[in-house]
Amino acid sequence: MALDNQTIRTGRVGRGVIGSVLSGRLVWTIVSFLSLLVLWALVAALLQSRLFPGPVEVGSKFLSEAASGELGYHVGVTLARVAVAFLVAMLIGSAIGIALGRAKGADQFFDTWLIFFLNLPALVTIILCYVWFGLTETAAVLAVTINKIPNVAVTVREGARSLSRDLTEMAHIYRFGTWKTLRHVTLPQLAPFMAAAARGGLALVWKIVLVVELLGRPDGVGRQLYDGFQLFDVSMILAYAIAFILVVQLIEILVLQPIEARVNRWRR
Amino acid sequence: MTRTNQAIHITVDRKAFPAVADRPEQLVLRGVQLAVEEGSFVVLTGPSGCGKSTLLNIIAGLDSDFQGHVAFSHADPKLAFMFQTPRLLPWRTVEQNIRLVLGDDDAQATAKVAAILDRVGLSEAATAFPERLSLGMQRRAALARAFVVEPDILLMDEPFVSLDDPSADSLRALLIELWNRRPTTVLFVTHDRIEAVMLATRLVRLGGTPASIVQDSDVSLSPTDRLDREKVLACRLRLFENA
Ligand SMILES: Nc1ncnc2c1ncn2[C@@H]1O[C@H](COP(=O)(O)OP(=O)(O)OP(=O)(O)O)[C@@H](O)[C@H]1O
Ligand SMILES: [Mg+2]
Repeated sequence: MALDNQTIRTGRVGRGVIGSVLSGRLVWTIVSFLSLLVLWALVAALLQSRLFPGPVEVGSKFLSEAASGELGYHVGVTLARVAVAFLVAMLIGSAIGIALGRAKGADQFFDTWLIFFLNLPALVTIILCYVWFGLTETAAVLAVTINKIPNVAVTVREGARSLSRDLTEMAHIYRFGTWKTLRHVTLPQLAPFMAAAARGGLALVWKIVLVVELLGRPDGVGRQLYDGFQLFDVSMILAYAIAFILVVQLIEILVLQPIEARVNRWRR
Repeated sequence: MTRTNQAIHITVDRKAFPAVADRPEQLVLRGVQLAVEEGSFVVLTGPSGCGKSTLLNIIAGLDSDFQGHVAFSHADPKLAFMFQTPRLLPWRTVEQNIRLVLGDDDAQATAKVAAILDRVGLSEAATAFPERLSLGMQRRAALARAFVVEPDILLMDEPFVSLDDPSADSLRALLIELWNRRPTTVLFVTHDRIEAVMLATRLVRLGGTPASIVQDSDVSLSPTDRLDREKVLACRLRLFENA
């Protein structure tokens, strides 16, 4: 039979070096980033306004802030708050999620609570924490944590509801016990859900932390943005915003992606 | 028939699955009594859906919602269960899957794992993740896991189903070899009558709705006869003549 009319599948390996480089993500990231930079510079040159500085001005502000140590200090402070709030919220949120996903009665009882906290505006939690506990570090981190816990709990609960009964039975037969079952059977099944919670959660925590700092802390990126706002110093606002984006991206690439790759390495 | 040295005494007076939504209560087992001799290889057969898996789950302690009791001669018998699907942890390597069923305080664990992997021919695949292996290899790993704990009682629920003939044959040979090396009380569910005759020292057939035991026969084939296709076929005809 002739092959003319048949579909032919070519292996990906044979497609050549140029094709794979061009389709590489890195190239596109660079091209896309550079074009954004050029666009920004063009608009700034056209407007010629103090309130819309170009990349060069923002860049030099960034460098001077970095040189004075201010930038590093405030980003560090914010990072520390994010880290503590994130970890505590992941821990407590996961525990609640697992408990609710496993115990039907508890789930039905606490569902209303969860919906209440999910829909409570972040700003309300922040204000109440400051009102009740004073303008303290604890109140600040607590406000962020409380905002984040319900999201984690809901996502992890979804995972806990779909745990494999087959594997639970296997663990029971071979006498894994509580700790072994949690570590080798339950948590690996929850990992994708916790990763989703971590991602969504980190994005949320970053944003809330800035508001918390703006409202009641003497330091941190949020505070610097506020100062920039009061002085109408747009270069400063943008310099900190860019520093912030850089740090978030670095954490994504250096911490989150390697963890995800490791956790998913068994998948086909 | 009187039997000595009973490893398990099973009495299921009544087992029903409760009604759900528009499905009425389902009475599955009634009046099942079975005494399993120490070291015997009992094969359970019966029509699909008659309650063989249900019975095995009851014996394993995975299902306690029934009327009756299951008594073991050992105070705390070590069980192994080979399920219809391999039920390996996909996020652990073959080696880790087998290591995990041994106690943390087992000093010989590493050696035991290596030995059993060698016996089932999986040494090469020790560090592979289960989902990257063929179904036959996954079944081998599950078999290794069942034997490495040196169980007093081994429960098997159609463990070789949906394999091609050569793979199933080699796994059966492996099972016989492991069983000869370390005799264990085995309860083995299968639909395959030839497989039943090849393996069983006793054949128990469930039937009827609700199901009870409709046949209980000893299979007295010698080890060499079990490998002889003619003898196995003849024995199958005899055992299942009124099935
Ligand atoms: N969890 C359950 N809830 C309700 N009914 C069930 C449940 N598990 C099994 N059944 C019913 O009990 C009966 C026996 O099921 P079981 O799985 O024990 O059969 P089986 O003999 O193992 O069948 P097969 O040979 O096909 O594996 C079936 O009619 C099935 O529909
Ligand atoms: Mg079954």
